[in-house]
Amino acid sequence: MTLLFNQKIRQQIADPQLQAALDANADRRIAARQNAANALPDWAERRQRAHAVRMHVIDHLDEVLSLFIAKVEQNGIQVHRAKDAAEAIRLALEISHQAYPGRSNLLIAKGKSMVSEEIGFNPALQSAGHRVVETDLGEFIIQLRNEKPAHIITPAVHLRRKQVGELFHEKLGIPFTDDIPTLTAAARSTLREVFLNADIGVSGVNFGVAQSGTLCVVTNEGNGRMCTSIPRVHIALMGMERLLPSLDDLALFLSLLPRSATGQNLSVYTQLIHQPENSQEKHLIILDNGRSSVRNSSLQEILYCIRCGSCLNVCPIFREIGGHGYIGANGAVAPYPGPIGSVISPGLLGSNFSQLAQACTLCGACKEACPVDIDLPKLLLRVRAGKIPDPPAEKHQPSKLEYGLKIYSSISSKPRMFKLASRFVGLASNILPGYLHLPTLTGWGLSKDLARPAARSFRVDYREEDSKSKDEDFPQQISRPKKRDAGPVAQNREENAGKNALIERFDLELITLGGSVHRIRSQELQSAILRFLNDREIQHVQSWNDLPLKFGDALRQNDIEVSSVHSASIRAGITGALVGIAETGSLVIPGGEGRPLSASLVPEIHLAIVDSTCLVSSLEEALRLPEIVKAPATVIVTGPSRTADIEMTLTIGVHGPKELHVFLVDG
Amino acid sequence: MPTVQLFVTCLVDTFYPETGHAIVRILRRLGVNVEFPQAQTCCGQPSFNAGLWKETRPVAENTIQVFESAPGPVIVPSGSCAIMIKHGYPELFSDDPEWLDRAQELSARTYEFTEYLVDVLGVTDLGARWPGKITYHASCHPTRHLGLNRQPLALLANVQDAELVTLPEYEECCGFGGVFSIKHPELSAEMLKRKITNIEISQAPTLVVTEAGCRLHIAGGLIRQKKPQRVVHIAEVLDHR
Repeated sequence: MTLLFNQKIRQQIADPQLQAALDANADRRIAARQNAANALPDWAERRQRAHAVRMHVIDHLDEVLSLFIAKVEQNGIQVHRAKDAAEAIRLALEISHQAYPGRSNLLIAKGKSMVSEEIGFNPALQSAGHRVVETDLGEFIIQLRNEKPAHIITPAVHLRRKQVGELFHEKLGIPFTDDIPTLTAAARSTLREVFLNADIGVSGVNFGVAQSGTLCVVTNEGNGRMCTSIPRVHIALMGMERLLPSLDDLALFLSLLPRSATGQNLSVYTQLIHQPENSQEKHLIILDNGRSSVRNSSLQEILYCIRCGSCLNVCPIFREIGGHGYIGANGAVAPYPGPIGSVISPGLLGSNFSQLAQACTLCGACKEACPVDIDLPKLLLRVRAGKIPDPPAEKHQPSKLEYGLKIYSSISSKPRMFKLASRFVGLASNILPGYLHLPTLTGWGLSKDLARPAARSFRVDYREEDSKSKDEDFPQQISRPKKRDAGPVAQNREENAGKNALIERFDLELITLGGSVHRIRSQELQSAILRFLNDREIQHVQSWNDLPLKFGDALRQNDIEVSSVHSASIRAGITGALVGIAETGSLVIPGGEGRPLSASLVPEIHLAIVDSTCLVSSLEEALRLPEIVKAPATVIVTGPSRTADIEMTLTIGVHGPKELHVFLVDG
Repeated sequence: MPTVQLFVTCLVDTFYPETGHAIVRILRRLGVNVEFPQAQTCCGQPSFNAGLWKETRPVAENTIQVFESAPGPVIVPSGSCAIMIKHGYPELFSDDPEWLDRAQELSARTYEFTEYLVDVLGVTDLGARWPGKITYHASCHPTRHLGLNRQPLALLANVQDAELVTLPEYEECCGFGGVFSIKHPELSAEMLKRKITNIEISQAPTLVVTEAGCRLHIAGGLIRQKKPQRVVHIAEVLDHR
């Protein structure tokens, strides 16, 4: 049964490109996560709080879910529930059919969603005649290669830049290059067509907030925003367990998720979706697909997972075999790999994936890295013990190893037998060499020798020692137990920080992200922006209607065309912002009438005008603002769009803006 | 004078009795009365970790009964066996209140060896001497599951004449994992290879561990690769003078 798996493992280990890619992933991601976590003095405490919140949600899932659904529906989003993969697919096809009657060749722009992998969304919609295009760079790459994601956050983690260059040369017809920015730009231009012409956008959901009916979708490249906001129909797919009670909880989880996933303080785009925009149709498909059964099983805790992927990055097994190494007994690649996948895959999809839990030393690195402190080793042991919701009816034949372990257990439960066996082993060891060179087929013999058992076991000699050695040992005074250190004192958070401190922090954080801050007095604002546009030879901008100081009129007087809708030819977008967040250098930008969200997304340059008094210190504070839930959708922008999907190399400017300029206005 | 029971573990009993003797000597020097119940066997970890929980129960019941014969701390020279008692037994008996109580009673007074020395006895200097470089591999179970790291390092820091050098990636698993090393020999081999490379980089001739399993694994790999480095249990270093 595990033969295929072992064969696959050997194949992965023997692939030098894969090994180089996986080593690079582990090195970078582990360091990034540690740095990000270390920067939060109360990380350990946040983890425990997050664990408690997730436990509460899963314990009260029915209530939280119905509250959430009621709110989402009240907000004007259509909610559908799917008990399994087939039903989710059927719903998606029905929604498409109703929105576009008589059309069976729709263009579907898809953002990253692990749920869609789980239910086989792409093949199902494609076989119905539609064209589904993955728009996350990593997903786009693996779709071109006809592969499954090799990592839940970084789907193309298994590839090197040369392989991507060859792929793009072959599939996109561009000259071969292994220059990552060039490759990223090629994907951008191909996908831009898809976004602007797509009939339907599909996204995942990172968190659903019950109190407000918020769909929170976190991305870096901007493709996710394109999928949710540009096509006339948006379908969001979410697992039924991905819920949080309140926006305060969301702030907590947003402080953990990006730090754990990529080491960022916040992802570039944090979307908070409440209502459809304009004439848009929004649907939410909430998927069970085995989650209810997992919830009623001893694997329940696995539902706390927030899909950050940090357990994959620290796992020594993942580092050897990558995501594609995790296959079921039938050879199918598990939709969820790594430590989390070795529990959730058999939990949701059955015993075909139970063997994954064997590929683990129980080292506990996954538990240590988990931002919600899931006890993965405990759950992996439960999978090994067959405690999955849907165990196979037939018991499998015990392997030789299991047979041996059964005999050993039987001996170990009878002290006399154990002693006898121990003597026998001791006697046998007299005729053995110091180390035994066991054959490879024993498993152990592949890479190490086996120490010879001692001729006299501890228990044999202990009695003798007991009688002769007591007197020669001298008692020493035992010192008092030392009190443990109090541990690092939690640093005081920067509360009551003055306005200037906020501005300085905001400035610093945004510059670190690759954005820029222009501090300016209100009377100079117009001329500064005009100068900026002139310097870049920009004659056409997309803009909010209600910018301060009758800004639009001033632009028009200077022969600059101002549109409220996006178009491929407009290079700059001008928006305001509700507030800026100092600790992460983020802008909170609500959408709504006259405030197209696409102005901060589609043009390659984004100019944001923010009153310098409108800075708050933390994300938590920002999420408490009443405007957040009133706007149909709000995006929290943290720097220019970026990706690290090829070799973890940071590239700025993917689908969203390449440049972000914040004009911070005084007085 | 405190009295403790030693749970020597099957690997130490069978492969490394010298570790057990070192522990007895160290504890006695500290004025601790050591008892060794002869009816002890294995903690049941191999079959438990292989998913054979039904078969593990009688093994765990034996261990509980054996150590119930006297009160006081139970000292284990292996974090993974301590974890088996502290976490594994309560899991095994979760549906059996009577045995669960007994398991929890034992679990509460079970200590890994270095944990007992440092956290209970408050001792970090044992007057040991070990000439030359040593390096320390932080075995996964004591380090991550019991949170023991400071304890073995504090004890090693006080060993005279020893130069404690850092093992690169010292918290990375060596690839033993019990039945894992047999079920997935290829993965185990790769992880062992990394560990041995790091030992070589450290330039220490002696690797100190707190787990007999890691010792069996790493030492076996060093021999297979014909490397000169050797592996010792921390008790043997602390007993050396």
